[in-house]
Amino acid sequence: MEYLSEVFTLPAILTIVLGTFAGVVVGGMPGLTATMAVGLLVPFTYTMDPTLGLMLLGGIYCGAMYGGSIPAILLNTPGTPAAVATALEGYPMARRGEGSVALKTSVIASFMGGTFSIVILLMFAPLLARQALEFGPAETFLLALLGLAGIVSIVDENTSLLKALLSGFLGMIIAVVGTDNMSGGLRYTFGLTDLIDGINFMPALIGLFSMLQMLELAGQREHAPIDTSAINGSQKRAKLPKGLGKYMALGSGTGTVIGILPGEGATIAAFISYNFAKQISKAKHMFGKGNPEGVAAAEAGNNGCVGGSLVPTLTLGIPGNSVAAALMGAFIIHGMIPGPELFTVHADRTYPFILSMFVANFTFLIIGLAFAPYLARIALIPPSVMVPIVSAFAVLGCYALNSSVFDIYLMIAFATFGLLLKKLGYSLEGLILGLILGPIAENGFSQGMIIGRGSPTIFFHSEIAKVMWVIIIALLVPPLLSIARKWRASLRAS
Amino acid sequence: MSRTTVDRIVLAGFVVLAVLLYISTASYPGIAQKTSAKYVRFLAVCLGGLGAVQLGLSLWKERRTMPLALTGHVGRFVGLIVGLIAFAVAFNTLGFFIPAAIFVPVISVMLGQRNPIVIAGTTLGLLAAVYLIFVVVLGIRLPGPQF
Repeated sequence: MEYLSEVFTLPAILTIVLGTFAGVVVGGMPGLTATMAVGLLVPFTYTMDPTLGLMLLGGIYCGAMYGGSIPAILLNTPGTPAAVATALEGYPMARRGEGSVALKTSVIASFMGGTFSIVILLMFAPLLARQALEFGPAETFLLALLGLAGIVSIVDENTSLLKALLSGFLGMIIAVVGTDNMSGGLRYTFGLTDLIDGINFMPALIGLFSMLQMLELAGQREHAPIDTSAINGSQKRAKLPKGLGKYMALGSGTGTVIGILPGEGATIAAFISYNFAKQISKAKHMFGKGNPEGVAAAEAGNNGCVGGSLVPTLTLGIPGNSVAAALMGAFIIHGMIPGPELFTVHADRTYPFILSMFVANFTFLIIGLAFAPYLARIALIPPSVMVPIVSAFAVLGCYALNSSVFDIYLMIAFATFGLLLKKLGYSLEGLILGLILGPIAENGFSQGMIIGRGSPTIFFHSEIAKVMWVIIIALLVPPLLSIARKWRASLRAS
Repeated sequence: MSRTTVDRIVLAGFVVLAVLLYISTASYPGIAQKTSAKYVRFLAVCLGGLGAVQLGLSLWKERRTMPLALTGHVGRFVGLIVGLIAFAVAFNTLGFFIPAAIFVPVISVMLGQRNPIVIAGTTLGLLAAVYLIFVVVLGIRLPGPQF
């Protein structure tokens, strides 16, 4: 109850509402993502009260996940990648004059998915965190490997398994730069004092997920005109179709479970939920033509990812997705290292943060029900306005954290190199996860080797370690089998 | 240059990086030889091994691909990068507000905005928002000019 009272103070409520509204706006702008918004604002929360700072970011996360659906439905322009599945059904609905039904379905499903996932976070995170107390250095190393194995699940049509893993290892290698904790010596700093503390992952995150998008937007040959005809007529009141509850429940459960898996993102959660809905629907023929069941499942799925992704992030320090990675950065800069201590020593900040996300969900529910058709126009903001503003914030955000101009150069370098890697089919999520997991893995490995007196068998000793190896193998086997099948098929074809 | 060629160059670069990284661990001092050096060698072997396999697959498939287009509009793309570097260079001496007041309208015009009201509104709006939110409300000390 005392944590709840912290949420219901005026500054907290204002912060959550501001964060959620900002999240909906950012989510509604094509080209801007939740990762970008959270990553961009993490440095600015440094001087804020930690609890309020985290509430602001939590609000942005929840709001942005929902916000992407508004232009997806009314303009066929998904605000975030996670809203692509929503556009498949939402836009055809809007085109035939059911935009208000689609918007209502979307906001209620998002609310259901988000709320359910936070309940799960609240219930299971402390239990999992208690288990984490049993973890020694060897298990910590395996945990990082587990996160890396999760990278393979990021693999999509544009990213190969090998390239996803390469991205992860590249990130871990970049994390090696700086001071060696074991010997105290400097590694790969090339005489630059700015690299003594290593490469800060915030400039990398802002570069890879904010600046890179701005470079892409700036470099677009021409901007396709957006059809705004569906906005008209979406402002009338509408009743929610019956029977959508089970699709919302399906999406909520699927999104939460997928969110918990390290590396899995809201886009995958939305598509899997959408496909599940398609399989169980009695109106399969309506899918692709504007079926509210698809909107309900996809939106509950991507918002279900919010709480789910925070379970491994807060308990084990393994980010569930790139937004959770950015949020983890916020916890770290406030001196709250993810793990059991978040639920004991820092419980007075962690629980209000989690509870604040219920308020954030409620806030976007109200915003969505009242203002969604008007917010769709956000998507019409031209890149010539958006790019300079976001770029200026990116520069300021990178500088603000350490008052270091070097971090701005790092951000530019990550954005440019990241764009090249993206075009070649590498996984930027993998790169950032590797960068985060690198120090965790190295400390676990080094301490494990000392305890094991130089023998790697220490990584197989405990029961937890054995279970973790099984999970790692279980995560790796399905994609490997899938690759083998594809290879066999291509050999047969050739 | 084709996408495949660039991809192969990058993969070859990863393999070279992995070899250099592996060799560099020989100079790790004392206890680091049994700990950090082994970890870095593990990463080097993984990066080099995976890079070599991917490079081998790419050579074996021998696919011809389209040229790699990093951007559709080189001028704007390079202009934004140059603008960012100039912003960063100016940051030390001029702080945030003066470089931002130049950067925002310049980039806006470069990206095709011709409406002076929109440009002025964007610039002043950003500066006012940063000042109000970060300086007044959050109390963050933003760097100012050094003179």
